Amino acid sequence: MIHIVTAENTSRYADALEQAWRLRHRVFVEEKGWSDLARPDGREIDGFDDAHALHMLAIEAGTVVGYQRMLPTTRPYLLTEVLSELCEVDPPRSPHVWEWTRYAVERGHRERGRILSPVGSALLTGIVEWGLESGVDAIVIEMNPLWLLRLVQLHFRVTPLGLPRPIAGEETVAVSAAFDERTLTRLRATRGDSASVLSTQPGRPLRLAS
Amino acid sequence: MLPKLVDLTYDLFRSFDRAGTVEDLNACLLRAVARFGVESTFAGVIPLPGIGRTAQAAHVLIDRTPPGWSERYFRAGHLDRDPTIRRLTTDATPFLWSEIEPLYREDPAARRVMDEAGDFRLRQGFTVPLVTLDGRVAGFSFGAERLDLSPELRGMLHLIASYVFGRSLVLSHVPAAEGREPVQLTPREREALQWAAAGKSEWEIGALMSISEHGAEKHLRSVHRKLGAGSRTQAVAEALRRGLII
Repeated sequence: MIHIVTAENTSRYADALEQAWRLRHRVFVEEKGWSDLARPDGREIDGFDDAHALHMLAIEAGTVVGYQRMLPTTRPYLLTEVLSELCEVDPPRSPHVWEWTRYAVERGHRERGRILSPVGSALLTGIVEWGLESGVDAIVIEMNPLWLLRLVQLHFRVTPLGLPRPIAGEETVAVSAAFDERTLTRLRATRGDSASVLSTQPGRPLRLAS
Repeated sequence: MLPKLVDLTYDLFRSFDRAGTVEDLNACLLRAVARFGVESTFAGVIPLPGIGRTAQAAHVLIDRTPPGWSERYFRAGHLDRDPTIRRLTTDATPFLWSEIEPLYREDPAARRVMDEAGDFRLRQGFTVPLVTLDGRVAGFSFGAERLDLSPELRGMLHLIASYVFGRSLVLSHVPAAEGREPVQLTPREREALQWAAAGKSEWEIGALMSISEHGAEKHLRSVHRKLGAGSRTQAVAEALRRGLII
């Protein structure tokens, strides 16, 4: 199940968020070697983890096995502040567009090879389900260009924001990817499961975009 | 002033969206990249080792190479020796064919593939390795007599290849509700077609299935009819696309 954590319900997710910071540290610092994010306490948190961030946690039997963070593009976000060299056009700024960052799946829950794992596809489905019910219809992504084919196959309508460039030794391209009901249908067919992935916790904020 | 390549890429993505068939899509792509010297395109999922040549040819999704080349390529069994195939299954970064010359310098069979490609105006090329949603490795190659690519152009071709490959897959997987009837093969028809995909003759298929050559032929004829295929390669390609055989 994908759990959405925002400023409003963060107190109920103290333990899960704690696990999420540690998962981020393991994946981005220890595995990917993004050493400027390293922290002595093993919790990867940055300035964007503020009251405006929306965290999506994949939780299985009380353990956080996957994570991603959504940032509103109506405020400064990673592409405009940290990765601006990837953006050669006017960066998106809209309540209907959010930035997808810090996508991380626990090592034991990844698929062999480079396929989208069940946890990974649940996280991606979580974005589309959340987006469709919240008035969000596109995400900004900084990604390895290998993801582009996958997004097109999943019926995302992709717009390039720049050409690929190496970031920390890995080819990276910034895109905006729009989605609709067809994307959700396709994701569910790929997963072989048409049930919602979002947990129906009380008080989950809806209609984030006005 | 020249338009920014990112703007050009954006415009191309949108014209690719408007193409209704794989044919239109790739005609549109070739027109667009001609200005950079690209003359042909060739793309497909890389077949697993050991399958027959008919099934190999059926993995081709896009073939805009000069007449005669792909027939020659598969008939001669070049796929198994092609150094661009070897490179793209081991490394996901795009490459110019000239950059992998050390890979085949000492390998006469691989060198012959590249030399023969040169005879078909495929002297130089740029290949983009891809991985599909279901984890299959694929490749998209741009070929030309002469190809001179700046780093920005390489980046652009990388994006365009991924996009066109994805749209081609989507367009060739039209669900039944959007116009194509679902096809059901009997277990015997599926078995016969699976053997045909492995390159077996009708006589061999008959022997493998403990039926007569005529019986094997009957099963395959029925498969052709159900799939609307004019040739064995076409039947295998269509069946792979529909997931009727593996």
